[in-house]
Amino acid sequence: MTLAALLVALFLVTPILIVVPMSFSTAISFQFPPPGYSLRYYAQYFTSDEWLEPTLNSLIIAVGAMALTMLLVVPAAFGYVRYRFRGKSLLNFLIMSPLIVPHVVSALAYYGFLGRVRLTGTIPGVIAAHGVLAVPVAFLVISATLKGFDRNLERAAMSSGAGPFRTFFHVTLPVLRPGMLVGALFAFLSSFNEAVVALFIGGRGAVTLPRKMYESIRLESDPVIAVVSTLLVSAVVLGVLISVFMRGRGRLGGGA
Amino acid sequence: MARGLSAPVALPAVAAVRGPSRSRAAWLLLAPSSLVLVLLFVVPIAYVLLLSLTDPRLSLAHYQRVFTVPVYTRVLLNTFLTSLIVTGLCLVLGYPVAYVMVRRNDWVSTLLLTVVAMSFWTGFLVRTYAWLVILGSKGPVAAAYGALGLGPAPKLLFTTFSSTLGMTHILLPYMILALFAVMKKIDPDHLRAAASLGARPGAAFREVFLPLSLPGVVNGSLLVFVTCLGFFVTPILLGTPRDMMISQLINQQIEELLAWGFASAVAVVLLAATGLTLAIYDRFVGLDRLWG
Repeated sequence: MTLAALLVALFLVTPILIVVPMSFSTAISFQFPPPGYSLRYYAQYFTSDEWLEPTLNSLIIAVGAMALTMLLVVPAAFGYVRYRFRGKSLLNFLIMSPLIVPHVVSALAYYGFLGRVRLTGTIPGVIAAHGVLAVPVAFLVISATLKGFDRNLERAAMSSGAGPFRTFFHVTLPVLRPGMLVGALFAFLSSFNEAVVALFIGGRGAVTLPRKMYESIRLESDPVIAVVSTLLVSAVVLGVLISVFMRGRGRLGGGA
Repeated sequence: MARGLSAPVALPAVAAVRGPSRSRAAWLLLAPSSLVLVLLFVVPIAYVLLLSLTDPRLSLAHYQRVFTVPVYTRVLLNTFLTSLIVTGLCLVLGYPVAYVMVRRNDWVSTLLLTVVAMSFWTGFLVRTYAWLVILGSKGPVAAAYGALGLGPAPKLLFTTFSSTLGMTHILLPYMILALFAVMKKIDPDHLRAAASLGARPGAAFREVFLPLSLPGVVNGSLLVFVTCLGFFVTPILLGTPRDMMISQLINQQIEELLAWGFASAVAVVLLAATGLTLAIYDRFVGLDRLWG
């Protein structure tokens, strides 16, 4: 069983690692093993707007979407977890609906709808779409954190004379901070990796990194994609290693 | 937690206020997100539904075409079958990994967890690109064929094989994490009890571990199947137009033909298929379990 598991792990990891040697290649097309090694495509990535602009766009959009998601999700999670009211399950369905609807359907919907209000091909348009699409994942993480919060801490603070705001900012928020950060990270990554909606509504004005990669793969011409992939994989490896060493084992599975 | 204190009281966010202001506070907290979700999600989706029935004029003709024209029924059937195959492959490949991850408590389990998390977080496009390199005409598989003197490699890229392989590779971590989440809650004492009662390891696995892991199997399969139904990027980049999936059809109708009405109808069919799958799951298992 262990052998089978290790073989599957090899199947999972090999394709991800193969992009690293590809990025140092001298070949002008997708050739492996590379005929020679150079830093040519790194230089190209870091000096041309062709790739830097989508990278910057993606970062701006992901940060904007994350902010929007958090602005929507944090109050909603408090309201949802701490109160009982009629229509709660309907509200839950509404909050989770962006996760249920296939992305290509959402993409088509945004293409039609945002086109009407002239927001296709703009960065605010993509931020709005990505911000909404990340709501369910962030909500799951943050409402779970909130459910595990011990209300007695607040009661203790208030019985010691702290007012509601003081209690919130000095007791509630610090305890919830790790969960909030994970929720925000999920929102950021869900936007940063999102391709389908970005393809439909990005237009020429808001080309994101996944969209640029998609086009580059489709034309099968631009080896700079190997550099981008290597940088992305490095970031993921760094993040995963940090969280494994910090023993955040439970948290890694939170996305599924 | 002191359950006696916190269960029925339902305190508001911070202050211990009672009465009508309680529901007003809840309303204030929930209204902005509900409003935004309705405006920026429900309305756009409803607009698709509307277009599918009214563009260019009010009729059910688009739906009739989706379900009667052979080209389109083949797309529906192909999407369904491909999703089933990918789900099956993910299950077969993923189960041993999740099993070893929970049963061992050493470097193997840490290594597997690291690899799974890594591939979970690496974007679809990076992995799709990697398969394009591996299976391409100048890739390692073709090179190996040449080196072994087997002659020219068969055409691997832009086939049913390559898109199925790519989708399986991308969705496998989802399956593994769903299985892992359920399996790690299985008490190892159950297996020890089975062993002490004389069950051989195989029997203990079959009679005890496997049945207890079934909720994970159901969750993972649902997750993979539903994602696969709407899969877009990978089938387009690795597959062939001959075995088109639903999302490719939507894209083609919009990008090449600007056929809004028909594309919307296909999108509604995809949405309905997804909804139906989830409704069946909800009926027998309960959707809360999936978010759980």
